[in-house]
Amino acid sequence: MDAPLWKKCLDRLETELPEQQFNTWIRPLHAVADDNCLRLLAPNRFVLDWVREHFYDQIHQAVQDYAPAPAPQIALEVGTRRAAPPPKAAEPETRFTRETERPATRRMAAPNPSLNIAHIFENFVEGKSNQLARAASMQVGENPGKAYNPLFIYGGVGLGKTHLMHAVGNLIIAGKPDARVVYLHSERFVADMVKALQHNAINEFKRYYRSVDALLIDDIQFFAGKERSQEEFFHTFNALLEGQQQVILTCDRYPKEVAGLEERLKSRFGWGLTVCIEPPELETRVAILMSKAAQAQVEVPNEVAFFIAKRIQSNIRELEGALRRVVASSRFTGRPITLEFAKEALRDLLALQDKLVSIENIQKTVADYYKIRIADLLSARRSRSIARPRQVAMALAKELTTHSLPEIGDSFGGRDHTTVLHACRKIAELRETEIRIKEDYYNLLRTLTT
Amino acid sequence: MIPTQLPLGLRLPAASRFDNFVAGPNRETVTAIEQLTLDRTASVLFITGAAGSGKTHLLQAACRAVETGGEAAVYLPLTTFSTMNPGILEGLEHYALIALDDVQAIAGQVDWEEALFHLYNRLREAQGRLLAAAAAPPDQLNIELPDLRSRLGWGAVYALQLPDDAMRLQILALRAQACGLELPDETARYLLRRCPRDLPALIALLERLDHAALAAQRRLTVPFVKAVLES
Repeated sequence: MDAPLWKKCLDRLETELPEQQFNTWIRPLHAVADDNCLRLLAPNRFVLDWVREHFYDQIHQAVQDYAPAPAPQIALEVGTRRAAPPPKAAEPETRFTRETERPATRRMAAPNPSLNIAHIFENFVEGKSNQLARAASMQVGENPGKAYNPLFIYGGVGLGKTHLMHAVGNLIIAGKPDARVVYLHSERFVADMVKALQHNAINEFKRYYRSVDALLIDDIQFFAGKERSQEEFFHTFNALLEGQQQVILTCDRYPKEVAGLEERLKSRFGWGLTVCIEPPELETRVAILMSKAAQAQVEVPNEVAFFIAKRIQSNIRELEGALRRVVASSRFTGRPITLEFAKEALRDLLALQDKLVSIENIQKTVADYYKIRIADLLSARRSRSIARPRQVAMALAKELTTHSLPEIGDSFGGRDHTTVLHACRKIAELRETEIRIKEDYYNLLRTLTT
Repeated sequence: MIPTQLPLGLRLPAASRFDNFVAGPNRETVTAIEQLTLDRTASVLFITGAAGSGKTHLLQAACRAVETGGEAAVYLPLTTFSTMNPGILEGLEHYALIALDDVQAIAGQVDWEEALFHLYNRLREAQGRLLAAAAAPPDQLNIELPDLRSRLGWGAVYALQLPDDAMRLQILALRAQACGLELPDETARYLLRRCPRDLPALIALLERLDHAALAAQRRLTVPFVKAVLES
């Protein structure tokens, strides 16, 4: 019984089935040759059931036709090609048992598999929006378990939370190479726990997570509604804090705002330090682009970085996506990256951004937010309850569109461009001094750009 | 005995490859996808385009290229999948390439968006590659989970242009050739003048004509095609 048999079957099934079905259900099966048994591994039971129901007969027929007699049995099972097939129906090993069984010497010799070595403080671009979070992270990296525990970093998507978290982990390891730092996404924690429960290995699960020097869990908002995981995490969390082992968590919002999260967890998350990462300002976005370009060893003129940063405000991932596209186009065409070239390469992407954020759109969003009428924004009324939202809207129009100041003034009931300029300065100032304005601005920016 | 002129339902399907994709103005996009199949590092690429612009062809071609390179790939048509349990995405991070088609089909379905987000993270951790295709760019898909939306736009986004008539003729010729069918130029032009010109419709029509020609043992002359279309 050998793989060539399955290859022959594949060749035939490919001619019998529509290409899309073949690439969805048949080719992805992994064949394992066993004593007179053809084991076909599907990635999960849903795929398995589907294949069994819809394609078993055809597979069976092909095997009958090509195999030397006696034809092997066909066993459809759940499994992956990476994991070596267990000799018998052994329980698949879970991730943490593998880790704990691994000899300590190997763990020290190998680079930490869960940390991304590319995410370090040196290439984390600092700006007003992330200054505090960066400083706190740095201190935790230098003094794990002692500076701030837990360190709780929150903020919108694609703003650098994960980067910071890995940077702390890498710094801890730089200071103490044998430190056991484990980074994982909250979903992984939940999945591991479910597996541990299934396989009666919850004690090993506990032992593993409580034995680390630093536990880094990303996106804990996905714990919401998962009570059993929260409970397990609660105990792990307490044990780690007691043992002065570092805990770092990230979340897409302030811990108290996560619905479906137990109160006792929320309150504990605030025991250490809670820091926020905000969307980067234009200058920081430019600096990020220049840094990414330097990492990719590509020459990107300042004006191109400004152009991209001005057009894409939502998050760093999309900024990076746009840069990737420009660089790829430049490599493809062999043309240097100029402003004209960047505009051309990003035509499709930017047309879409322009569509999304118009002055009208900003006016409507701001009016809705402050519960006033658009007509008020355009009116001559100067009471604070109208004037302030109007200034916020003007500042947003300058930040989010490419319209000139006179154009923006025009769109706000025919005002002068100096009024727009004044509004922008005023809002910039108020964002520093008044937390309400700062939050309003941030919320509106988020609504308009994501 | 079965009369020989009855066509069999069995034929070699036209295999989608990069070299039988009529690229026209989309050469850069095709090259980027080819590159993705060769680079063995975590990455993501997103292609958009109207129906008939060739997204599915390119996704199939990418799967084939990765398999040829000795790695495993899987094609996921989300239109079909969206009615199933999102658990069907479990364990897929072990594939070197995941080709996600019709991402718009799961937009707004919270459980699917979350499952896809988690798959993305696992795939990235496993150094896998993601090639996603949809009718619109990530921002316009009405995906509710911002975490997923931003990740889909992390790599480069490419827009496929629809083929023009010259490309359509080329595509029809290639298709016909692949199933051993002789399609005279004149007939192809006739089709483009008289029939809906979107590619899925044209290709379905070609299959119908092929069937009819085989049954009638006729060549695809204009009068014959005309007769088939009128029947």
